Amino acid sequence: MRRVGAVAFNTYRETVRERVLYNLVFFAILMTLSGVLLGQLSIRQDEKIIKDIGLASMDLFGTLIAIFIGVGLVNKEIERRSLYPLLAKPLAREEFFVGKFLGLCFTLLVNVAVMTVGLWLTLAATGRRPDPHLLAAIFPIYLGLMLVVALALVFSTLTSPALAAVCTVGVVLVGRFSDVIRSMREVAPGVPRWMPNGLYYLLPNFRNFDFKDRVVYGDPVSAQTLLWVTAYALLYVAVLILGGLAVFRTRDLQ
Amino acid sequence: MKRPAILALPVLALVFWVQVRIDRQLGAARTQQDVLYLWSGPHVRRLFPGFEGLAADLYWLRTVQYFGSSRAFAQDTRMPLLGPLLDITVTLDPRMEVAYRYGAIFLGEPVPLGAGRPREAVALLERGAQALTDNWRIRQDLGFLLFLYLDDYRRAAEVLLEASRRPGAAFWLKNMAADILARGGDRATARQMWRQIYEQSEGVVRANALINLQVLEAFEQADRLTRLVEELTRRHGRRPRSLDEVRASGLLRSPAVDSSGTPFVYDAETGRVRVSPQSILHRPDRESP
Repeated sequence: MRRVGAVAFNTYRETVRERVLYNLVFFAILMTLSGVLLGQLSIRQDEKIIKDIGLASMDLFGTLIAIFIGVGLVNKEIERRSLYPLLAKPLAREEFFVGKFLGLCFTLLVNVAVMTVGLWLTLAATGRRPDPHLLAAIFPIYLGLMLVVALALVFSTLTSPALAAVCTVGVVLVGRFSDVIRSMREVAPGVPRWMPNGLYYLLPNFRNFDFKDRVVYGDPVSAQTLLWVTAYALLYVAVLILGGLAVFRTRDLQ
Repeated sequence: MKRPAILALPVLALVFWVQVRIDRQLGAARTQQDVLYLWSGPHVRRLFPGFEGLAADLYWLRTVQYFGSSRAFAQDTRMPLLGPLLDITVTLDPRMEVAYRYGAIFLGEPVPLGAGRPREAVALLERGAQALTDNWRIRQDLGFLLFLYLDDYRRAAEVLLEASRRPGAAFWLKNMAADILARGGDRATARQMWRQIYEQSEGVVRANALINLQVLEAFEQADRLTRLVEELTRRHGRRPRSLDEVRASGLLRSPAVDSSGTPFVYDAETGRVRVSPQSILHRPDRESP
């Protein structure tokens, strides 16, 4: 466990040095601040617009960070040949893999925390209450980001970073259209029933993590719902990590 | 190329010069061309999975800007994109109360203040009432618009009664519904409604409500002046030749102008005083017979 922690901490240190992270965080903060301006252009929607933009920034830029840093996590180590001395030490491939995952998840946690504080400050600066209820949307967003990291990591063990990025973006997009997949038979009645149902349950359902509208309108999100969503995220992440591990263990690193 | 920064300054001046030429060619205050690439709300919704709320905000912003710029600059004041923009906004976020309420005023107000499509305005509010079942304000606005734009007093009263039964509804809704049923389309009820819209709104809708209050006030003034003409006719046994004669008689103390400063029009043949067609408050369809 200590070895996993060491890999995770080093991954965190490595990712916070990435220029792409700062670019994306900068744009996310800029977008959140733009909510103040856009809110003034609308009529009676300023608070909603600030919250919508803040939460969407966290979701969108968090996903981009997870994908573009996640796909390089394992491949970079192989390309730079920095993986070999690591694996020569008493460090199992599993520990390395899980450490990489946890490291990027921690980076994203810090990132989401910074954006949350930024959103609250923006609300406070415009005379609004920094709404703690927003956490009911932010927590599921973070769970979704963990799932994206796991996906990116799995694809990065299978293929090149560029192709891994394309594959991850594809699966994330399909996962956001899960409701369309489920109602596929309405537009294509010839499709066998098992296919939409199978795809619906097989692909990661990113709609599960979207509570933004509900929270912005002040609707309650029950602890039980959050618990189920957390269970879904953790189980799916476990499946992906185990699958990724299976590939990574057998991968010829020569 | 030793000092590129120094070279950049004259190039920047050139950019300024070219922009001035372009503005001279095309006109400095070019408005954005009215283009809407996607007309179907459900299709737009499909494009923003997980970001529907944000997309609705952006479409609402575009609606407000489109309405404002159409009113200020456009030649074609029918605002053809207003309906589709509002439809997309409320499809993306069916709970956006402001889009139903303000959108209905934008759609329903007569040209050039709005798009002059009151039936679409009513349909939008009916959609809002379905989406927000506990919302009394949307039903209140629906009642107002049925009364003010479609002269459907009975339905307006029914809808206002429905609104009064919603949680947190204003206490006066029941009285207003009763007034409508008792007195039909009188100006006092219309004034009450516009006053409520004025007090509950801001920006362009508030300004619009104020204009409507001024319109009603101008009609009242015209009717008062007609009564003074009748009074003077009784006294002198003949109709006055002009409103100056009414003023000279001492019955009228202030100048016979409406709140926009336009003099009222007097018809010496009929003895009737009307709001001048030159006045911004002139509404021939709303004048009393």
